[in-house]
Amino acid sequence: MSIKVKLHPILQKLAGGQEVVEVTGHTTGECLENLESRFPVIKQMIRDNRGQLRRYCEILVNSESTYPKELTTPVKDGDQIDIVIFVTGG
Amino acid sequence: MLTKNDLTRYERQILYADFGEEGQKRLKQSHVVVAGLGGLGCSASLYLTCTGVGHVTLIDCDRVELSNLNRQVLHYEEDIGEGKPISAARKLAKLNSSIEVTPVFRKITERNAREIIKGANLVIDGMDNFKTRFILNKACVAEGIPFIHGGVHGLFGEVTTILPGRTPCLACIFPEVPQRKVSLPVFGVTPALIAILQVTEAIKLLAGFGSLLTGKMLYFSGDTMDFTFRNLVKNQNCKVCGTKDV
Repeated sequence: MSIKVKLHPILQKLAGGQEVVEVTGHTTGECLENLESRFPVIKQMIRDNRGQLRRYCEILVNSESTYPKELTTPVKDGDQIDIVIFVTGG
Repeated sequence: MLTKNDLTRYERQILYADFGEEGQKRLKQSHVVVAGLGGLGCSASLYLTCTGVGHVTLIDCDRVELSNLNRQVLHYEEDIGEGKPISAARKLAKLNSSIEVTPVFRKITERNAREIIKGANLVIDGMDNFKTRFILNKACVAEGIPFIHGGVHGLFGEVTTILPGRTPCLACIFPEVPQRKVSLPVFGVTPALIAILQVTEAIKLLAGFGSLLTGKMLYFSGDTMDFTFRNLVKNQNCKVCGTKDV
């Protein structure tokens, strides 16, 4: 089963410049773990030290918000997960 | 009504066919609130002032520090310790004495946000934290005032224009307010570029021409000089602008 994860531009730099990474998993959480295993630095960016998704990150599946089930939403072959990061600086 | 001085001062932008004297009159009749006088707010208010927006309100509760001067171009060494709106307003008044600049040295809160922006034609987001951005987003939706969001991090920036009731708002995308408030890396050029894009949106919106960055986020990645877009989807369950009961 192949799921595409579209990375926010800030994360693309941490994944060797890739915009889209193909991962496997049955839920958004499993897919993110698969992504993080290949790019550990992304994990530091999107999760806190308890493993929770940071609140400046949002996870979309096929452009739909997964809130409040960001890590438990089921995904199927061909779905696209978007990781969106909200930047705070001004 | 445009004066003879107005016609001379703004001659080069009045030449732009879609804008013309009518566009300039609309700008002159407009009131824009710039929320935050940091990197984004300094550059945004500078260009709102020189383009002839009739009334610009500047609001911030911070004082100028030495570490601000790599990016906050309206504050000089002599202004360190001064309230940012006061410092910025002093420069803007010298740049364009024909417009009204109102400095407000005050913190934006849930309680005062609507009162601060009431009656404005639009609000420019120049904040440096999530919490106040979300307060402003909510207040703009409640008052029906367009909100032009900008954010920066390092050499990365983002812009979108929110039209209450018509486009996704910040809470559609981020239902929970992130709590992070830390010093982030930033080069002065990033907020300058993003602010100029925000003001470009403001000019078009106020004068009524062109198309806007509505329903999409524009991303700028300075590392690679890429401009990319992401479509934004309105969340019907949004706690701020949603149409469903939650």
